[in-house]
Amino acid sequence: MHRGKGMKFVGDSRVSADRKASQIPKDYSEYPGRTEAFWPNFLLKEWLAGAVFLIGFLCLTLAHPSPLEGMADPTNASYIPLPDWYFLFLYELLKYEFASGDYILIGILGIPGLAFGALLLAPFLDKGPGRRPHQRPIAVIMMLLALTSVIWLTWTSAEHVDWEARAEMNKPIPPSNIEINKDDPGYAVYEANCMGCHGDALQGVSAPPLIGTEHTAEEIAKIAREGINTMPANIFKGTDEELDQLVKFIMSVNEQAE
Amino acid sequence: MSEDKQQVSRRQFLNYTLTGVGGFMAAGILAPMLRMAIDPVLKPSKSGEFVNVGLAVEDITTTPQRIDWKVDQVDGWYESKVGRAAWVYKDENGDIIALSPICKHLGCVVSWEGSEQFPNQFYCPCHDGRYTKDGVNVPNTPPTAPLDTYQQKVENGMLYLGKAVPRKGA
Amino acid sequence: MLQKIYDWIDERIDITPIWRDIADHEVPEHVNPAHHFSAFVYCFGGLTFFVVVIQILSGMFLTMYYVPDIENAWKSVYYLQTEVAHGQIVRGMHHWGASVVIVMLLLHTLRVFFQGAYKKPRELNWMVGVLIFFVMLGLGFTGYLLPWDNKAYFATQVGLEIADQVPLIGPELKTLLAGDPEIVGAQTLTRFFAIHVFFLPGALFALLAVHFILIRRQGISGPL
Repeated sequence: MHRGKGMKFVGDSRVSADRKASQIPKDYSEYPGRTEAFWPNFLLKEWLAGAVFLIGFLCLTLAHPSPLEGMADPTNASYIPLPDWYFLFLYELLKYEFASGDYILIGILGIPGLAFGALLLAPFLDKGPGRRPHQRPIAVIMMLLALTSVIWLTWTSAEHVDWEARAEMNKPIPPSNIEINKDDPGYAVYEANCMGCHGDALQGVSAPPLIGTEHTAEEIAKIAREGINTMPANIFKGTDEELDQLVKFIMSVNEQAE
Repeated sequence: MSEDKQQVSRRQFLNYTLTGVGGFMAAGILAPMLRMAIDPVLKPSKSGEFVNVGLAVEDITTTPQRIDWKVDQVDGWYESKVGRAAWVYKDENGDIIALSPICKHLGCVVSWEGSEQFPNQFYCPCHDGRYTKDGVNVPNTPPTAPLDTYQQKVENGMLYLGKAVPRKGA
Repeated sequence: MLQKIYDWIDERIDITPIWRDIADHEVPEHVNPAHHFSAFVYCFGGLTFFVVVIQILSGMFLTMYYVPDIENAWKSVYYLQTEVAHGQIVRGMHHWGASVVIVMLLLHTLRVFFQGAYKKPRELNWMVGVLIFFVMLGLGFTGYLLPWDNKAYFATQVGLEIADQVPLIGPELKTLLAGDPEIVGAQTLTRFFAIHVFFLPGALFALLAVHFILIRRQGISGPL
């Protein structure tokens, strides 16, 4: 069998040597209009588009470091789970009455199963010969409805979330062996005023961790008195002297953490 | 451009550009990944920290004695205590010598007078490797280099050892 | 030099037809954005594949540092992010790539849908494409757990509870995924790691191969 540069290959004796199988690729020259060679003309354009896309993508990764929260703590009761954004619509769907409780099956199997099943079988549900959207109104309307509801569900779900507070509260704490000095006079003040929300090791519970804080000593003293963000004012109930001890204590733990 | 001067055809030019753009994309994707992969090679090696091995200088005799101690080892994200051992003695000048017990042949552990046949020598049981008291390998035994010596210092009468440093062959 | 090496190999194993088959075809006018700018919608599929390549490469490199173990998984990711040069960027590429791939996949699916390009003879390729979509969502779900942070742990627990609700096989399905009927822990993490790194990518490669072979056999759909 002759191929390529005229080499003779030892082939199967039952295949006649001069039978030319469809070795020649389709050239698509039957297409009307201004066709263009894939290699190298069109591929170059594709790759240029790809290069621009890549630059944008790398800018995104540089501008937004990938998030990492604190190490998984199964005993953390105050944590509100939230899936990645592309599962938010399912998460939101399960909040509705008709998709939860006794009707949970509708929520987890019925509606998503119907939607994804229809998507999978679309060619068999929409069998007409016409390809233009106005020739198959039912399929197009169903898709638009599904798309709208997914976008709407995702939006509603994301709207209720205070993303910045979430990120602040779940900052990763370095795996350090910080030892809290419980004999420090500031520790007693901390225990009395802050521990309920900020945790026994300053790791943060319902409030952000105090380890790795970016505030200065003066700012911490001010926040303890006046509050910040969701922290109300006057949580700290002590004398100025105790406040001073507290700030010194928090700063000393932070110095140790560095 | 006149026809006879044209050395690069349109197709060739496109191919070169294609290679360039492809190379740019590959570099953009792979550069951070390769930098990440070779990071351990480029990290500066930490200078040995000296650790108190729990042996007072006055307890060191002229006979080698084996001491064991622990060092903190940071292996990426994993921190652990790792055991170290050394043979320590004072030479004729009163200088402290701390030898690594790792045989320079194939990494077995040598011991002082480990064989009754060879007194006053370090002996490796694996392949009968031998070293004289100063750690120099005995010719015609398997080891090809003297035992490593630990960096050492003395503080408050206690011996501190650092990294084991290889010596030139005998 | 290169030409000689190429000729030497080609003389023996006849590789020219292999790449000619991929390289030598004409691209019709209606998909070429140079002629009709609106044809950029045909780029979405290719860009999806491009991001998939980035995902595969960055994933391969990430496993150089990552350990699927509940004691060390988080620590290794934290170490990778804070101590290793460019570790932040590579994990960022994998993290954001996961989102971008879903977006591009969605756009590609919508393009094919609204153009009715799934109609005869391309039904099979559409179904393969939808399966690729499912595999991608599966990869997103399993990859989510791997850093073993709070977000990962609690979101996975919700996912497993959903599996538990499935009639008849629910509890078994949950145990199969989690490795233990009660605990979401060490065995869950190794399972999700295996699914994320070996099983689903294997399925993805097979489906992608079928997807591309079918495109070459059937050609791109004509203009509307």
